[in-house]
Amino acid sequence: MPGILPPAGAPWPERRRRALGDPTMREAVGKSTRSLAEKKAAAYAAYPLGEAMRVRAVAARREALGHTDALLEEFTRQVEARGGHVARADGPADVGRYVLAVARRRGARRVVKSKSMATEEVALNEQLEAAGLHVRETDLGEYIIQLARERPAHILVPASHKTRQQIRTLFDDEAERSGDPPPGGDATPELTAFARRQLREEFLAADIGITGGNFLVAETGTLVLITNEGNGRMTTSLPPVHIAVVGIDKVVATWDDLAVLLQQAPMSGTGQLISTYTSFITGPRRPGEVDGPEEFHLVLLDNGRHELLGTAYEDVLTCIRCGACLNVCPVFRTIGGQAYGSMYSGPIGVVLTPLLGGLAHAPELPKSACAMCHACRDACPMEIELPRLILALRRTEIEESMEPPTVRLTFELWGRFWAHPAGFHLTARLAQLGQRAFMQKGRLTRAPGLVGGWTATRDSPPVARETFHQWWRRTRPGSPP
Amino acid sequence: MTRAQLFVSCMVDLFRPRAGIAAVQVLERRGVELEFPAAQTCCGQFAYNAGHHREAAAMGRQLVRAFEASGANGSPVDRPPVIALSGSCAAMVKHEMPELLERDALRRGRTPAAAGWRRRAEALAGRVVEFSEWLDGHDAPAPSGAASGAPASLKVACHTGCHMRRLLGLTEPPLRTLRRAGVEPLELVDADQCCGFGGSFGLIEPEISAAMTDAKLAHLATARSEGATCLVSADLGCLMQLGGRLTRRGDEFPTLHLAELVDMADQGRLTAVEIGRVASRQGGDD
Repeated sequence: MPGILPPAGAPWPERRRRALGDPTMREAVGKSTRSLAEKKAAAYAAYPLGEAMRVRAVAARREALGHTDALLEEFTRQVEARGGHVARADGPADVGRYVLAVARRRGARRVVKSKSMATEEVALNEQLEAAGLHVRETDLGEYIIQLARERPAHILVPASHKTRQQIRTLFDDEAERSGDPPPGGDATPELTAFARRQLREEFLAADIGITGGNFLVAETGTLVLITNEGNGRMTTSLPPVHIAVVGIDKVVATWDDLAVLLQQAPMSGTGQLISTYTSFITGPRRPGEVDGPEEFHLVLLDNGRHELLGTAYEDVLTCIRCGACLNVCPVFRTIGGQAYGSMYSGPIGVVLTPLLGGLAHAPELPKSACAMCHACRDACPMEIELPRLILALRRTEIEESMEPPTVRLTFELWGRFWAHPAGFHLTARLAQLGQRAFMQKGRLTRAPGLVGGWTATRDSPPVARETFHQWWRRTRPGSPP
Repeated sequence: MTRAQLFVSCMVDLFRPRAGIAAVQVLERRGVELEFPAAQTCCGQFAYNAGHHREAAAMGRQLVRAFEASGANGSPVDRPPVIALSGSCAAMVKHEMPELLERDALRRGRTPAAAGWRRRAEALAGRVVEFSEWLDGHDAPAPSGAASGAPASLKVACHTGCHMRRLLGLTEPPLRTLRRAGVEPLELVDADQCCGFGGSFGLIEPEISAAMTDAKLAHLATARSEGATCLVSADLGCLMQLGGRLTRRGDEFPTLHLAELVDMADQGRLTAVEIGRVASRQGGDD
């Protein structure tokens, strides 16, 4: 079944305009992405074993995709054997229904969440809030984004587009709302101290903790959480109920597979050899254990994933959400994450958003948010051929006639003429004759049709009075054709 | 005598033939017996990356045919190398063409010919060598008089295109070529970031494209403050993007194809003044 993603919000030209017109955001994004990309490179350079494990990790992920259904069955058996509950969700509504049913049964009012792309994907916060629940994000970045009523602008560092000054303003407003003392200043320790104080209360009062999951280990039914702030542990151990929402693509067969995978996300995402907290959660609290929730639920989210298995796009499901492709992408660095209109931004977002939500959901992304520079291909630890997949989506759009007819005609004529020397030379002659009208100071400054896109922001040299072909013919009359 | 065929690229052919002419001089000066297969038009990369693969394949087939014809009518085994004046187009031929032509033949129902097209494209792919890579491989010692005219301190900013860098893995050859020419190459900060062109992307998204270029030009400004006399690239696409944005901003900083710079160095006329003179010539005003 195809998936459903939240609406993109404003139309593309509007999102693009906002992004290009926000120099503060662009500077912050440029700085943070460059820093993360450098840290990633340094991490792999300093730890040769990391590369060897990466190669094995790619194989483990691809192998797992070939057995997704069997692994999910095994995973489910293992979780249930340990007293946990597993549910399958086709899409957003299923997730919302399941979580709300648990909440109703428990009489729950307050929810804390740790960072999760899957719950962003199904707009779970909105669903729960609409039903009257209080939902609080507890990852610092997500907390900031929630206060700002925005969408994460980066898969890994959702608030990296915000400056400390902007964050302080958000916190000041929140302090005023809650009647708590505001942060002492906009230094990082002061800001985190404020967030910690606020969130501590939320953790203690929460009825349900909701997380995503980085991996699922089938052989023991274990949920793996990679976090840096400790909020994941609080979310999964303080509230009496823990619900994890995890894409079906996250399952691996064994702990051996997990062992080679575990470092890849932190190394590629932040340049850490291992994340600050790596949590393995296998079922609810058992008799004799001192911590852990009373109830443990795992919601396996499909939302368009299963349909990709066995297709040319299958490898996209090996993505570990490290954000490395975002950090090197020149388009992402220029427009930031929110312009993509999806929680999945950057190159992986260009591929994943239309694949999960349908091409019609984000027709602009493949052609407008990629310069085909291939930087993402080199950056991806899972060796996902992102440029090739983006190109395949462009091709599909053309095959499905989603392109303006004038553009299509331009390419058709172009292909027809340039497939033969005579046609090629004819177009050169026509340009030589006709271009005067479009020239200023010896340069083309405007142009009709597709080329007008070039001259909108750049000059072009005119077609030369004598092309190379013409020069060769003139100066080497005897030379063979 | 070494034989070679010149793959000039449609952009050099139409917009900067001087770069092609310079390459001819440079190669012939090094004793290459150069052929120019006149049936070549375009490798189809622009259409290919825009997703228009039928059109790209039509152009690609023509390119393959053009380079199969050889003036010295050699058998396929001793067909000469094809020296490409664009890293990006070389990458298109080497990495995409065989699969594209095979797939397109299948799409057109020419099943028996599909494998043949793949083989023919692979044969061409195997012969294609990027210009600076060729110079590098032949370690062409600069002919007499070369480099002597260039003050040792002459600095040039260098931009290597994304496809040349990532798909061909050629980051050092242009730098070494410049050093052999007696100039000091200055790589820009964030050298591996795209110039903003990106084929159809640059036409569909002129504003994002220009914003990317402006970031590159900010780093170029640093290189200029360190004494760069011009911007050099082995890819005319990047050079037209960067140069076209410069002049749109009223900036006449010289931009040169690598072949032009090597040609000037060969002749011992590589000076800042001469660079400015060559760069300011418009294709149409030669």
